Amino acid sequence: MANRAGFLRSGTFRNLAILILVWEVVGRVDWIAGGALPGLSEILIRLWADRGDYPGHVWATVQASVLGFVIGNLVAVGAGILFVLFPTLLRLTRGFNIAVFALPPIAIAPILVLTLSGMAPRITLAALGVYFVTMSATVVGLSQFDTRAADVVRAYGGKDWMVMKLVRLRGAVPDILSGLRIAAPNAVLGAILAEFGGGGRWGLGTYLLGSLGRGDPARLWGIGLVATLIAGLSYLVFAVISARTLGSSRSVTLNTAIPDADDGAERSLPLRLAVIAGAALLPFFLWWAFIKLTGVPDLIAKTPLGVLDYLFLSDTSHIARAKLLAALAETLPITAIGMLAGLGFAFLLAISARMFPGFIKTFMPIALVTQTMPLVALTPLLVLILGRGTSVTLWITISVTFFPAFVLLVQGIQRVPQSVLDLPRAYGASAWTELRMVSIPAALPYLFAATRLTVPRALLGVMIAEWLATGTGLGNLLNQSRGYLDYGMIWTVAAVSVCLSVAFYYAILLIERRTLTRLGMQWVE
Amino acid sequence: MAFTINRRTFIQGAAIAGASAGLPLRARAASALTMQAAWINDAEFSGYFLAMDKGYYSDEGLELTYLSGGPDVIPESTIIAGRADLALTTPDTTIRAISEQGAKFKIIGAQYQKNPIGIVSLKKNPVNTPADLVGKTVAVPPVNTVTVEALLSLNGIDRNAVNIVPYAYDPTPLVRGEIDASLDFTTNVPYTIGLLGEEAQSFLLYDHGVTLFNDTVVVTEETLASRRADLVAWLRASRRGWDENLADPSLYPPQWEDSWFKGTGRSIDNEVFFNTAQKDLIVSGGGIFSMSEEAIEKNLAALQAVGINGTREMFDTTLLEEV
Amino acid sequence: MHHDQGIHLRSVCKTYRGRGADVEALRDMNLDCAPGSFTALIGPSGCGKSTAMRIALGLEDYDTGEVRIAGHPPAAATASGVTGVAFQDAALLPWRTVARNIALPLEVLGRDPAKHGHEIAKLIDLVGLKGYETALPGQLSGGMRQRVSIARSLITEPEVLFMDEPFGALDQIRRRQMNVELQRIWMESGSTALLVTHGIDEAAFLADYVVVMHANPGRVVEIIEVPFERPRRNELYSAPAFHALCDRIAKVLHGE
Repeated sequence: MANRAGFLRSGTFRNLAILILVWEVVGRVDWIAGGALPGLSEILIRLWADRGDYPGHVWATVQASVLGFVIGNLVAVGAGILFVLFPTLLRLTRGFNIAVFALPPIAIAPILVLTLSGMAPRITLAALGVYFVTMSATVVGLSQFDTRAADVVRAYGGKDWMVMKLVRLRGAVPDILSGLRIAAPNAVLGAILAEFGGGGRWGLGTYLLGSLGRGDPARLWGIGLVATLIAGLSYLVFAVISARTLGSSRSVTLNTAIPDADDGAERSLPLRLAVIAGAALLPFFLWWAFIKLTGVPDLIAKTPLGVLDYLFLSDTSHIARAKLLAALAETLPITAIGMLAGLGFAFLLAISARMFPGFIKTFMPIALVTQTMPLVALTPLLVLILGRGTSVTLWITISVTFFPAFVLLVQGIQRVPQSVLDLPRAYGASAWTELRMVSIPAALPYLFAATRLTVPRALLGVMIAEWLATGTGLGNLLNQSRGYLDYGMIWTVAAVSVCLSVAFYYAILLIERRTLTRLGMQWVE
Repeated sequence: MAFTINRRTFIQGAAIAGASAGLPLRARAASALTMQAAWINDAEFSGYFLAMDKGYYSDEGLELTYLSGGPDVIPESTIIAGRADLALTTPDTTIRAISEQGAKFKIIGAQYQKNPIGIVSLKKNPVNTPADLVGKTVAVPPVNTVTVEALLSLNGIDRNAVNIVPYAYDPTPLVRGEIDASLDFTTNVPYTIGLLGEEAQSFLLYDHGVTLFNDTVVVTEETLASRRADLVAWLRASRRGWDENLADPSLYPPQWEDSWFKGTGRSIDNEVFFNTAQKDLIVSGGGIFSMSEEAIEKNLAALQAVGINGTREMFDTTLLEEV
Repeated sequence: MHHDQGIHLRSVCKTYRGRGADVEALRDMNLDCAPGSFTALIGPSGCGKSTAMRIALGLEDYDTGEVRIAGHPPAAATASGVTGVAFQDAALLPWRTVARNIALPLEVLGRDPAKHGHEIAKLIDLVGLKGYETALPGQLSGGMRQRVSIARSLITEPEVLFMDEPFGALDQIRRRQMNVELQRIWMESGSTALLVTHGIDEAAFLADYVVVMHANPGRVVEIIEVPFERPRRNELYSAPAFHALCDRIAKVLHGE
């Protein structure tokens, strides 16, 4: 309540109103790329005119996202519980988990449409979007339980599962709920992306596809806003639920004991190596099993061996490899630049958040909207504003990368203890000096964690831009291959993009652990 | 919903398993047939909508399931995976798949005698012939890049002289002059361009050497062998639908405002424009879907010129003869 | 070794093996608490007093020696419900009401809490929390939470009661009040009690025997008998004999 009152009182409300007014004026006079950004009122008028179309599409999207959300989260929570009970299992599935986290949805959507039918691709893409977030939230929630309460249960002879049942599960609820809150918009975006490509009559993605041909930006923005609204509402529902339950589950005193971190780690080297090898192989096994289970013929569905064969053993392998390498040569440099740009932008924002809290309050709602807008709707319009060069790729990449990095960095900067901040101030240091000497170095672990989050998303952003704007690199190769019925290449691009994301992730992880260990700092999961 | 679809997949999976085991396929519900369209619902598929609405398929003893398409849907894949019995495809893709990947497809008919795909530009900055493309920026859906490359090669134009960028199905960049031309259905997009206050100029790829059909009716050899009668029945019913639809192209699209075209995001006037414009590209002396020897010859020649080796055997005209 | 209802540790050794150096938490620890007696374990941080109690509760393994709680090995004793426990922190589950927190041990032991409604109500009354049955821990003061914890430790009608600095988080005044109450509750229950503390006056006030431990390695150095009659009252804190005893304990603690 206090927050809401504060929101109205502070400049935020006024700033937002000004912003909307500027948008309206700019839109009305067709200032941006001759009308690519219509005024808010034009969008709303269009929405009203189209009101008959929306219910069916919204219903289909909600249906697919809710189903995907439920399935993905059930699997995620179940997996989270298993991982906590059997830590070896967590280490064994690490490769799989990172792969799910890192997979670019636009590379996976065509594969799902190839192998599954009807609503299944939409539901699967929605479920994939929520799995990692909820799974990690579950593991974190279950791991950070009150050890003293667990001792009480154990002191009466309670076993691990009893501790799980009485102490850990309920204690993890707030964490799981905050996971669900972040996951919910992912489900909506996943469903819309699969609708866009997957055929079928209903769904906002389908509507978007049909509407693209009308050359009516107001319609596209309208669909985008409705998608944002659904995603935003789903976020809000879980925000409210977690606000309601949080009060009664927060531990009343601070637990000083930290659960044993390497609890149950394999001691012997051979066993550890076996687990690492298993973790690396499991995603490929699951890929293979998925194809065998769906029973899709070999011609369309390539197993890991099929892709190996396509890339290295068949008569046309050298052509395939040349195409792939050429595409990678276009995609990789811009991905690296895009990642740096996204991180840099997030970093600047995080610092601004510290220096000018008012600005950030205005900016946050806009930032949230950019995270829930379906990019396929806006890319053709972005092209009008930014052209088809490097800048459009960079902007798209920044827009998909900066937000999670920004949130983490703000957390990092905020967690610097007050006493540490007071010290330089006591010696008369300016806010900037304080930031430079204390806050930024202290936020280093968060900067690394943000980088890990950013890398896979940077690849996603670049591939979207390549697909819809620049016509280069992996994103273009993926779509061109469909015209050639080159299934081998479709699977190869999907596999390579996932492997690249995972490899980047681990590379950052390695640098992070090295650097932070040398600096004697803790890393952030 | 997911369940029924899964069940269908399962039944068809079972049917395929049955076929490979040499069991009589007639054991399955005799008349269920699934077709995979090439795109979302628009006037391109009017003939089928009409035939379904008027019960022409049921008259032939068929129970037709119609699947809409989309950018990620590769119609050929749907029939390979056994989720549909018949698909509407682009012939270059299909023939390339047969010749290069050994896919067991047969083309049993062609909806468009002339491919409606063309280069669309604005009258104020016209692209009238392939030669005009030199130095221009043309937006092409990545899937169709191969077709534009065929056009350039058939007309002796250097591929590097044309700037090909992705086309995201939105004519706005063309109208705003960000691109000079786009590859699209000439039966469709000029309408929108007109609405946006510009006049469209277009030419068909067909008229410049890319003498291809489009929306070719494709089945697997297996389906052809086991369900020949059903396929003939489908061709007959579909032809009835198309004949009736094209008799007055402006008659039926408005009737589908709340059924087939509901919520597609497109306007009915657009569909009428489309239906009218496509008439000449579909109608054929030999009847709808017909594939004359001369036309097949032209298709093969055009493909040959871009290195796709098609043969006459890939086309099976005997079903049309039965119709 | 006696196999009665008391607490018996015989020659218990426990070493934590760390990366750099091993820490000898307990060396040859002997402890005998007669049935119905109240024993206080006192010593500096790291002397192994908490470890000894955790071993007696089966929460921790030991290297050598023998442990009998009410005649059973620790794990068997705790699982059969003959023990009760209260920790330094109340360690209440924040989402459970007072009554349901008290019922927690019953659930762990597989007993039906519904059948013990009467006992729960009686214990809530005993610790002076009548009317707070449905309150959540977040709504209680620190002292009240500690009393819930004491009630919880008694719900199984334990023959043996373990307490690890149960009032460590309270201020001196609240602590003395709680000590009087604890004595009353313990006398009514008739159980064998083991209290881990580093408050000398608390140990002297509550215990029949004060067991003094030293660190490095953790070991028992002396057992001091406390002669004061029960029930002991607040006035005892100002009695010269009490101060003399506290001084003696302090001397032993400081190794003089």
